[in-house]
Amino acid sequence: MIEVKDLTKTYTIDGQALKAVDKVSFAVGKGEMVSIIGHSGSGKTTLLSLIGGLTKPDSGQVMIDGINLWSMNDDCLSEFRNKKINFIYQFSSLIPTLTTIENVMLPTAFGNYSEDIEGYARELIRVVGLEDKMNSYPSHLSGGQQRRVAIARAFINSPEIVLADEPTGDLDEDTEKEVIQLFHRMNEEKGITFIVVTHNKEIANQAKKQFKMTNGILSAI
Amino acid sequence: MSARLNIISFALKNLKRKIIRTLLLLLAVTVVTGTLFSATLFISSMQNALKIGTYRLGADVLVVPEKYASEARSALLAGEPTSFYMDKSILERVKKVEGVKRASPQLFVKPSSFTCCYNVDVFLVAFDPETDFTITPWLTKNLKKSLVGNEIITGREVPVVPGDTIPFFGTAFKVAGTMEPTGMKFFDHSVFMTMDAAYKMAEDSKTKSMQPISIEKDKISAVLVQVQEGFTPDRAAIRIEHDIDGVKAIASDEVISTVRKQLGGLLKGILAVSAVVWVLALLMIGFAFSMIVNERQRELGLLRSMGAKKGHIFRLIIAEAVIISVSGGIVGLIAGSTLLFTFKGLILHSLKLPYLMPSATVLIELVAGAIFFSLLTGLLSSLMPAISASKMEPYEAIRKGE
Repeated sequence: MIEVKDLTKTYTIDGQALKAVDKVSFAVGKGEMVSIIGHSGSGKTTLLSLIGGLTKPDSGQVMIDGINLWSMNDDCLSEFRNKKINFIYQFSSLIPTLTTIENVMLPTAFGNYSEDIEGYARELIRVVGLEDKMNSYPSHLSGGQQRRVAIARAFINSPEIVLADEPTGDLDEDTEKEVIQLFHRMNEEKGITFIVVTHNKEIANQAKKQFKMTNGILSAI
Repeated sequence: MSARLNIISFALKNLKRKIIRTLLLLLAVTVVTGTLFSATLFISSMQNALKIGTYRLGADVLVVPEKYASEARSALLAGEPTSFYMDKSILERVKKVEGVKRASPQLFVKPSSFTCCYNVDVFLVAFDPETDFTITPWLTKNLKKSLVGNEIITGREVPVVPGDTIPFFGTAFKVAGTMEPTGMKFFDHSVFMTMDAAYKMAEDSKTKSMQPISIEKDKISAVLVQVQEGFTPDRAAIRIEHDIDGVKAIASDEVISTVRKQLGGLLKGILAVSAVVWVLALLMIGFAFSMIVNERQRELGLLRSMGAKKGHIFRLIIAEAVIISVSGGIVGLIAGSTLLFTFKGLILHSLKLPYLMPSATVLIELVAGAIFFSLLTGLLSSLMPAISASKMEPYEAIRKGE
């Protein structure tokens, strides 16, 4: 379903070219859960952004369901992201002026979704255990609670692919386990494909396919 | 309430984020729109009054004693009551001047402070029904009759209604009608009577009034002239002054053009100041929105990652600016109108010019123009920041915003 071929992305920092992603090729089948581990700065986040169509590669291709992401124009690519892909970031990615329910529903503002989407949003918030924080603003939530809201948001558009960048970064051990269980549940019940970038080897080991990223080069473990 | 967002509700929530900044930007638009709207409304009102007032005057040239020319101008433009007289023989001499089609005398009488029991400055104007061509057409059209005996008609600002009685110099006058407003005090604050009634009032005042007035029957204050076709008021005025010594012939278009020049100067001044303030407001809002886009780079990148198209980001920024500018415009309209109506009297007193609100159509046009102007301010100022925000690559925006 996801096919990455010779993907390369170079940044110029202080006049020096740095290959963040260096000729990466791999494939992920539909409904698979894949983990990528690696040190900070090894290019994991850049790779996720390339797969999600957030940045254009210098060379190589990202094919999803046989479609080359960069053959689409910007509007089509945005619509594609809105319908098929969602992200979980390692930083707080909530909009401070929106409540929990509004943050979760935010992706639906950019596409056509049915009227009962709000009910689904409430259900997702219950799943992540924040039903009593439905109308709270991010400033009234702890770091861990904010991360759970972002996780709920990642499923609002019923994506086919979730790209998670350190999704359990600042969660306590129990919540971390719950989140990983949720990923597995979504993976099994809804067939969502997960690519999870993590430092946590325990989480990485739970994935069917595991990769390691070193200096922009991806290798199977 | 639904938690579903659209661009407008999202923009509104974003604006609440830094409420002080939002209010300052709104204030900038309020000041610009309020100034422009109130200045335009004020000047339109004066031009409107001048147009209607001069139409009501109906005369091309006003002939007055030479040394009272400035008082006559003040009486005409600012409605300041005045009394001056010249010999009635001037009328016959004016009629003989080449280019004069019709001429009719008028008497101006300044009532004493306690002549009238109403707390309004009124100006008594007497006309000759036989020759008059300014008041009589109005009487014929609206009252369908002439004034008889002690009947008078009043300007709109004189606080009486038809049927009331007002005493002047000991003589009671009956109000036969009220003229429509013109915005010129000369008409709106005046009481019009026949010259016979005025002469009789003066005669009777010697026995009936504590402050008698003396007006000889061979005296008049002014001669109103209508010029023949082919003659301009200016040309006729020059001829009158040339042929008759001791008089000043004031062409009505001279009065209008003088005032128009004054108004034009005023308008140019206000427009120049407003243009500078507008450019500053544009720069200020534009700069503020560049800052906003910069501050929210990561958020905008996140929105793009959720599927927001470039158009969504563009519309979001534009919507925020337009909400500020249109709200500022509406507040400016209200504030400008309130200030104008509060200080109208004071400004008019210092400018000594006529004032009459324009018609509803013109008012609607002015309000629509002001709203459009504020909308344009929002659009123009946020255009560049909105374009740059929409062009950002999602991942770059997320990274730079970290």
